[in-house]
Amino acid sequence: MGMEEALQTFFVESHELLQEMEDRLLAIQGLVVDEDRIEAINAIFRAAHTIKGSAGLFGLDGIVEFTHVLESVLDKVRSSQLVMDADMISLFLKCKDHVSLLVGLEESGGVLQGSDQATGQALVAQLSAYLQAPQTNTVHEEKTHPAITYPHLDPLALESAGGGVVDNDNWHISIEFGPDVLRNGMDPLSIFRYLGTMGTIVQVGTFFDRLPGLSEMDPETCYMSYLINFSSEADKTTIESAFEFVQEDCKINILPPHSRIADFVSVIKGLPQHDLRIGEMLVQCGTLTERELAAVLAYQAAQESGQNSTEAGTKQPLGEMVVQAGFVQPAVVEAALQKQSQQKKTKARQQQSIRVDAEKLDMLINLIGELVIAGAGVNIVAQRSGRADMLEAASTLSRLVEEVRDGALNLRMVQIGETFNRFQRVVHDVAKDLGKEIELLISGGDTELDKTVVEKIGDPLTHLVRNSIDHGIETADIRAARGKPAQGKVHLNAYHDSGSIVIEVQDDGGGLNRDKILAKALEKGLVESVHEMSDSDVFQLIFEAGFSTADTVSNISGRGVGMDVVRRNIEALRGNIEIQSKYTVGTTIRIRLPLTLAIIDGFLVRVGQSHYVIPLDMVIECVDLPEENLNSSKGSNYFSLRGEVLPYMRLRDTFEIDGESGRRESVVIVKYGNTRAGLVVDTLLGEFQTVIKPLGKLFERIKGIGGSTILGTGEVALILDIPNLVQQVVRKDHHESSRLQVRH
Amino acid sequence: MAKTIMIVDDSASLRQVVSIALKSSGYDVIEGVDGKDALSKLTGQKVHLIISDVNMPNMDGITFVQELKKKPEYKFTPVIMLTTESGEDKKSQGQAAGVKAWVVKPFKPDQMITAVSKLILP
Repeated sequence: MGMEEALQTFFVESHELLQEMEDRLLAIQGLVVDEDRIEAINAIFRAAHTIKGSAGLFGLDGIVEFTHVLESVLDKVRSSQLVMDADMISLFLKCKDHVSLLVGLEESGGVLQGSDQATGQALVAQLSAYLQAPQTNTVHEEKTHPAITYPHLDPLALESAGGGVVDNDNWHISIEFGPDVLRNGMDPLSIFRYLGTMGTIVQVGTFFDRLPGLSEMDPETCYMSYLINFSSEADKTTIESAFEFVQEDCKINILPPHSRIADFVSVIKGLPQHDLRIGEMLVQCGTLTERELAAVLAYQAAQESGQNSTEAGTKQPLGEMVVQAGFVQPAVVEAALQKQSQQKKTKARQQQSIRVDAEKLDMLINLIGELVIAGAGVNIVAQRSGRADMLEAASTLSRLVEEVRDGALNLRMVQIGETFNRFQRVVHDVAKDLGKEIELLISGGDTELDKTVVEKIGDPLTHLVRNSIDHGIETADIRAARGKPAQGKVHLNAYHDSGSIVIEVQDDGGGLNRDKILAKALEKGLVESVHEMSDSDVFQLIFEAGFSTADTVSNISGRGVGMDVVRRNIEALRGNIEIQSKYTVGTTIRIRLPLTLAIIDGFLVRVGQSHYVIPLDMVIECVDLPEENLNSSKGSNYFSLRGEVLPYMRLRDTFEIDGESGRRESVVIVKYGNTRAGLVVDTLLGEFQTVIKPLGKLFERIKGIGGSTILGTGEVALILDIPNLVQQVVRKDHHESSRLQVRH
Repeated sequence: MAKTIMIVDDSASLRQVVSIALKSSGYDVIEGVDGKDALSKLTGQKVHLIISDVNMPNMDGITFVQELKKKPEYKFTPVIMLTTESGEDKKSQGQAAGVKAWVVKPFKPDQMITAVSKLILP
């Protein structure tokens, strides 16, 4: 007999039941004897009940849903909470027709038509009206919570009782069977057997202390208690489910293995910063089950209302209770408490702050930008007038404007800590998936950066962290062979460095394999020759589209999409990304981002008639161009800065500005990351507050220009994109040096 | 020898599906149409577990269990009772009769197998 045959039985049976339902519904009004009426109502209820139950077995959810509502109304009729009147009878008849239709459709393989669907919905609505109607005869029954069961036996007693060496990886289960379990047909042995299907019972200790003397002993009563050391990968709820049918009669305590404490703690640390209670946190991390929480809460409530006379009125903290009850280890509760106090602090901070519409804030920043420009205008006028009082007023004004500017920009700054903390969970989950042991270290969480940047940095950072765990940290046996501790470390760090924010993802894993990357790059045609490539050039290759050296494609990473997207995301934030890595030792990925996106301190220079602004943070010093370089050939060149060879470029050439350079030229030495270069300009004009105005779409792709600004005089100045220029200088330099080598 | 389970329900299709599932898990199955029918079929042979619906014609599940507990050979036989979400009052009656294992209808065959294996393994 197969399922197909059973399904046919279901169709036949349903039609019979529906026919009976209709017959009974039509006859019911004629019935005068109460007993007959009750019998008829029961039969109608049973029909709906049976169809629902069987339909569920076959997974016919549409029928289950509809008959469930019907059954609920019929149940109220059956328990005399509703009276079946003529209206109700005709409604039930329509429902019967609808169920017939649904069953028929399943039988013929048809699809429910729109109009029939609407009929069904209308019927459900009518039925539901009865369910919501105020109930007259309802007896409100207080739902009884299972009482808290303080362990009769210390869950750790078996270990300390000298029961051999018991390692840390075992669950400790103590169970005290109630006296009636045998009479109720529950065999303790069968529960042990079932437990055996989800793990290994390492050790069982049997306790007879409730066993009375022979004369008083009742053979049908259970007097046994057990302590079980149980080794299993299952979670606590699953293990608890083994005791599903006896938990009302028995005292059960399930204490997770010590080895899981670290897992629980890391999940708790990674929980979002919501307003979670201790109990909820413990349940979410899996160390406490819903049932245990309900029991403890019920006990706590009882304690509060003074039912437990000894401690009347005093409320014992939940954390203390779950530890005492042997549900949870103290270390896990400790972590949850810490998280809670952290949440409270965050909340307190939130309470002191005002939420402002981001649009309003942007408008304010924009206006302050205009104010900065206007202030610069005033300065120029004051200087021209030459009046001392005017100059003093203007300088006071510009100092205040500067402060207002800094204050306004600060409004957009948020700490990166919360973004970092989210990674606790990411690391925990990914590490678990891959079967690796990973510790996440976080530092510099109080470093502030622009809100827009924080929002956009999450995804690239997630990708980098996942990569570190997947490709960076080696498997335990390789780590052991390399003499590293089994537990890998991933370190997230943030700090300010010369006007940028630096975010580091550091791991102590295998590091990048230069040869492997080069081989892959050659294979993919990303490079033509491998000569003279520096490590950092080679490492940059992993950011090329379609690059992946992972031998196997895992769930986590290794599909060759991602690293190029990471770089694009970072560059869109005007940042860059660099890699330091040592094979078998570890990798550090450093993301460098601009501090703000709106206003910067700039350094104003002039070439010909054009003004340019260099972000002041990147300016190291200004020197005169040595005479021997004055009329040297065009393009990039070198000069000696106190003995150090420094490449430089003439902005006049780069931007193709007409006219001859003056007799004296100056070099602005700029630094980006670890690279320094010189920019040759005509005149140095000094510091200048710069409001960044984005370039129009047309100019977006111009290399070397990052934006524009308006000077106090109303003239436009272009803001130089230093990272790009520095790269150009260095590349040219590289290009030329390789050309030189060819000539040799 | 395979262990024997009795399934008592007035729905033939439900009995069929549960039987198929139980048999393929290695149990022997006998069926009862309602409480009365089931009692008449329990004539002293060993039955390891009984699964019974609450709502049945002729004799409902609660009465059936009460009668069952009076028979010495079935006094300790575990019973899984099938109930609906709304059946709280039935549940307390059943508890009093000594039924501790409840499975909510509608259920899927493998849910039943899990519940059964908590009480007896094949």
